[in-house]
Amino acid sequence: MAILKALFPWGPVFFGLGFLAPLIASLMITLTITAPFGLTEIQTGLIIGGSWGLVAKFGGRWI
Amino acid sequence: MSIAEVTGATGLDKDEERRLYHEEMAIARKYIGPFPVVMALWCFSNLLCWFALWPLVIFDVIPLWAGFIIATANVALCYLPSHEAQHSNYANPGKPLRWLNELIGYVSTIPLVLPFKIARYTHMLHHKHTNDPKLDPDYEVIAPTWRQAVMKTIRRMQPGFPNSYGTVLAENTDDPAAQRAGLEGVVQSLAYWGILCALAWSGFALEAAFLWWLPRMVGTVYISLFLSWWPHHPMKETGRYRNTRSFTHKLGNIVAFGMEDHIIHHLHPGMPLNRNKAAFRELRSILEARGCRLEDHHA
Repeated sequence: MAILKALFPWGPVFFGLGFLAPLIASLMITLTITAPFGLTEIQTGLIIGGSWGLVAKFGGRWI
Repeated sequence: MSIAEVTGATGLDKDEERRLYHEEMAIARKYIGPFPVVMALWCFSNLLCWFALWPLVIFDVIPLWAGFIIATANVALCYLPSHEAQHSNYANPGKPLRWLNELIGYVSTIPLVLPFKIARYTHMLHHKHTNDPKLDPDYEVIAPTWRQAVMKTIRRMQPGFPNSYGTVLAENTDDPAAQRAGLEGVVQSLAYWGILCALAWSGFALEAAFLWWLPRMVGTVYISLFLSWWPHHPMKETGRYRNTRSFTHKLGNIVAFGMEDHIIHHLHPGMPLNRNKAAFRELRSILEARGCRLEDHHA
């Protein structure tokens, strides 16, 4: 339980990497959006999802 | 305006109070008794529909957008059968069908990811302290208009906004029921996030997003608006006969999930939702004599 309490505040970052990243990659493939800078779709997803998660964690909101 | 305790504010004498009370209870008893078959069927048919969407969408039997619309309806509809279980309306403790009551409580809200024990614990507090700013776990929904209530629910879903149910559990850590509810909540939430992530990394990210993640958010807003905000707005009064109102919604009672008669539920929580309207019609004159908030206008 102590580990969970320590990890819980980082939930948005885990969510960004664990769910949003593959979701963004899937959306890019479905909508045929080319990833920038020679990145793959999942790399793009991890950058966007992880960054968004950090913003949500420190800013307190996703939108 | 401060909270007004208005029970008895209609100036009824004791004999009249007693007569109205006995009449009210006699009518209510007629609707409370039988097993709520409709609500039980509602639970399992809704859940079956939601589960069926997954293979139907994954194997392209129906398009994802259609699955999203149906799943959103499923999420919005899944709370009310569990709500009956929270009140033990399928079977009280010690009765033969108690297992069914608890089963419905647990499984009905799987699409909503609302842990049953947390729902029951906080909902009982809501009934006990309706509209009390400090003690009613649902008080956070308060807002001047329904549009603002929607925006507030979206704000409440953000990670920086304190979770009112979590706060209630944290304030009652010496209560074993709160401890158990909290533990079940942690397990269910971790399972939800784990399943979402596993689906997403297995190539089903769009299905996970459009059949569960997004419908859950839309459904939460809908439930919060129609089950919490609308029937209790403006949340200024406490007291058995004034803390909840009846109203007429311009889109109808089905869209409002039967909440037009939510006052009946607060007066008689043992009465299943699908009998509230008939009971309201029969109880109306008594509620008028009691000075209840019967607001028959389009909101």
